[in-house]
Parts: sequence; structure tokens; C-alpha cells
Amino acid sequence: MTDQEIISRFEELDAGRILGDLDTGEMDEWEELARDPRCQSDLALELTAAALEAEFQDTNKIELPPGLLEELEKGTADFVVEKPSKKVEETVGEIPLWRKILSDKDTAWAIAALFAILFVAQTFVSDPSTSTPGPPSTQVSPEEASKTLVAEAKDLIRAPFEGGGDYKGMSGEVVWSDERQEGYMSLTNLPVNDPKSKQYQLWIVDPTRDEKPVDGGVFDIGLAEGTTVIPIRNPLVIRDPKAFVITLEQPGGVVVSKQEIVVAAANS
Amino acid sequence: MRSWVFFVGIRDRQISNTGLNLPLFVSGAETDIGGRDLLALVAQGKESAMDRCIKEYAPLVWSIVRRYVQNTSSAEDVVQETFIDLWRSAKRYDSSIATHTTFVGLLARRRAIDHTRKESRRPRLEPMPEGDSLNLASEGPNALMKCEREVVRQALAKLPEETREIFILHFDQGMTHPEIVEWTGLPLGTVKTRLRRGLIELRNQLRPANSPSNPQTPNS
Repeated sequence: MTDQEIISRFEELDAGRILGDLDTGEMDEWEELARDPRCQSDLALELTAAALEAEFQDTNKIELPPGLLEELEKGTADFVVEKPSKKVEETVGEIPLWRKILSDKDTAWAIAALFAILFVAQTFVSDPSTSTPGPPSTQVSPEEASKTLVAEAKDLIRAPFEGGGDYKGMSGEVVWSDERQEGYMSLTNLPVNDPKSKQYQLWIVDPTRDEKPVDGGVFDIGLAEGTTVIPIRNPLVIRDPKAFVITLEQPGGVVVSKQEIVVAAANS
Repeated sequence: MRSWVFFVGIRDRQISNTGLNLPLFVSGAETDIGGRDLLALVAQGKESAMDRCIKEYAPLVWSIVRRYVQNTSSAEDVVQETFIDLWRSAKRYDSSIATHTTFVGLLARRRAIDHTRKESRRPRLEPMPEGDSLNLASEGPNALMKCEREVVRQALAKLPEETREIFILHFDQGMTHPEIVEWTGLPLGTVKTRLRRGLIELRNQLRPANSPSNPQTPNS
């Protein structure tokens, strides 16, 4: 055989190895050729098979065995260098921590206590006159911070939310400032969600960034009536938002939404 | 057969389930979270990134592994091994060569196929390389263009019909080779050859056009 024929034969056998369909005789042949310096396995073949494999998997319908996720999380122990901190939460998404907290029945009282403390604290410290540009202090309520933004931002964008489908009864608006990289959603008549089942997630469409909407954070609606103000948590700099879209996603949110349930949208 | 999931960029628009006219979100593999590469954060040992990774990719890994490993308990073990591989090899991930999904899929396939080999009592064949030996960064421009869904789908569409059919039976329907033989009436050798050469052809199509290693392998 010529060099090219040998290389081609090895390549075909290597494809079989990657596909897992070599018979005993072919295994022997592959092993022999693999020792030949002219024959090199090509990772691109394996990547191609992996891309195909992933392409055909419909992971939305997958039900994992009970306990598998917990086992996988335990398996990270030997590799963890840094436990979640506030900074990491903001970067990677603070939802997993929330999800953990919310899923723990024993700490439900602690959450209630935390909110109570925050509520009391905000009544003493929220003074719009002391607000300065930039992200609001965590001690200022979203309602107050939103009002401040509306009053002070010179480049304010305001856009009404339009509910769709089952959410036509909702109303609200989004306010946003590119300069301050700060924004809020005021939402009314949005159904209360069970955080253990579904969570709302905001997406910011900014064509100047790239083709993917920016994750604006997940949030919950806990009040059946009245207006809830939700701060927008943009992990990336937003330059020119064209739309704000709310979807309903799995707890913790998703990295890429499939828009299976689009709750509302606001076009700026 | 399951219909293809069509990739539509955000510049396209659709009437969504709610009747709102919205841009479609990219349904292909993602590469970053919060502006930072998720696997880069995993490589730094950040627990929150690992948790996110598990949540995001456990269904994919489980789905792939179950195609090869029928026993549930064994499949769970293989999934755990795959994630250990992922924690070890994340530092060698190169986002310019493969998407997260492809990378994770590769690790899952390796583990699953190795398990199958061991189960079939074929110890002579060398196992596929361990995940921690994987180094995409060293592959350079020859490896592969980024396997976004649209690109993969377009490449598949270029395969001859008879080859594409076998690919769909194998990768989409999850048929084994004997099942494909029974379904199509083709000899086993033909099925294997078409799959192997089809894979090579797809690899060639997915490779960057300017790659020095871009032979045009004929498909038969």
C-alpha cells in the first residue's frame, strides 16, 4: 500500500474506533497502524462525532435518575478551589445559591427573617436625596432605586411590557440607563411563581453585543396583587438594548432560552 | 423521525407561542455565562461554575451515556466519571475549537464507549484517552471549526442521502448497527463503512477551509 492508502485505511479504522464499531480483526489492524508514525489519530473526527451526538439529543425530555445531581455535586469536592462568594455569584449567576436556599425547608424561616430585617433596614436608610449615580446600594429598595434612576438618568429608556398568551393581563414597564448600567422592571399582575418549579428570567436584547440576548437574571413574583419592582442584574455591559424579554424557565434559569414560555416583552 | 431543530439567529424573527413578535434565541451551544467562559471558571475550581455546569450538562451527558450503557446503575457511574473528566480537563478547553456542548459530548462518548468495550470483554483494545489528556488548545487550527448546530446541520445536509439516512438512524434514533441492518436491509459492512466515511466527510466539511489538513475524502 502507498503511504496515502495506509493513512486512509487508518483514518477509516479510527472513525470506527470513535464510533465504537471495530470488530476484533479491525482492532488488531488499528493497533498495528496506530504504531506507525505516519498514522495519527485526529481529534477532529471525535469532535465531529460528539457534535453529532449532542445535536440529536433532546435534553428537554430527559429525566435524570433521582439523586444523580446530588451525587454529581458531591463529586466536585476534590476539585473545588473557591466556594461561591458574592463576586462569583454575580458572574456565574446567583441563582444556584438561591435555589439551594429555597429548596431547604429548614432555612425557610431564615429567609423570612432576612426579608424582615431588610424591610426594616430600608425604612431607615432609603433617602433618595443621598443617592449617587451607579448601582444602587443594597439597602435601598428597588422601588426607591427605580424612582431615583427615573429622576436622575439623562439617557433613560422607558418601555412598556406587553404580556402574551396566558400573560396578556399583566402590565408593566422597564426603565434602563446605558450610562449607569442600571435598570428596573415594574411588573403588575404577573402570576406568582413557585421557585421550586419555575422562575421568571429576563433577557436583554442588545444587537451591539452579539447574537445572544444577555441574561438579565431570574426573579420570582411573590405578590398576587400590586406591583413588583425587580432590579435588572446584567452581568455584561449593555450598550444599546432593543428589547427586554421575560421568559419562564426552570429553577435557576437557563443559559440559553428556548423561549418555550415567553411571558412578556418590551421593545425600546 | 424527530424533526431538526433549526437554528435561527437573533436577527431573525418569529411569532412566538404568545403571539409576540420576538427575536428567537440561539438554540445552539453556548460558550459563556456572564461574559466569562463557564469552563474557564470550572478550571479555576469555582464551585458555583461546577454546579452550573452540572445543571446545564447532566441531561446531555445522561442522554448520551444511556445510548451506550443500558444498565441504569452503570450509566450513573459513567456519568459521574464523565464529570470528573470534565473537572480535570476544563483547563484544556479551547472555545475557538469546540463549543461546551461538543466538548462535554466528547467526554461523555469516550466514557460510554470505553465502558461498553469493557463490558463486551474486549480488553485488548486500548482505551480512548482519558479526559485529562485532552488538550484542545494544542490542536490549533487543524482541529475543527466550532460545531454550532447550524454548521453541523448544513454539513449533514450535504451528505449523500443514503449516508445521511444511516446517520439519522444511528445518532437520532439511537439504533445500533444490527438494528440499522435490520431496518435498511443493508449488509453490516456497508452500514459501518457509510458511517465511518460519512464521519470523515463531515469532519472535512467542518474543518476550516484554510486548514492545512483539509483533505476531501470521497464518500461512498
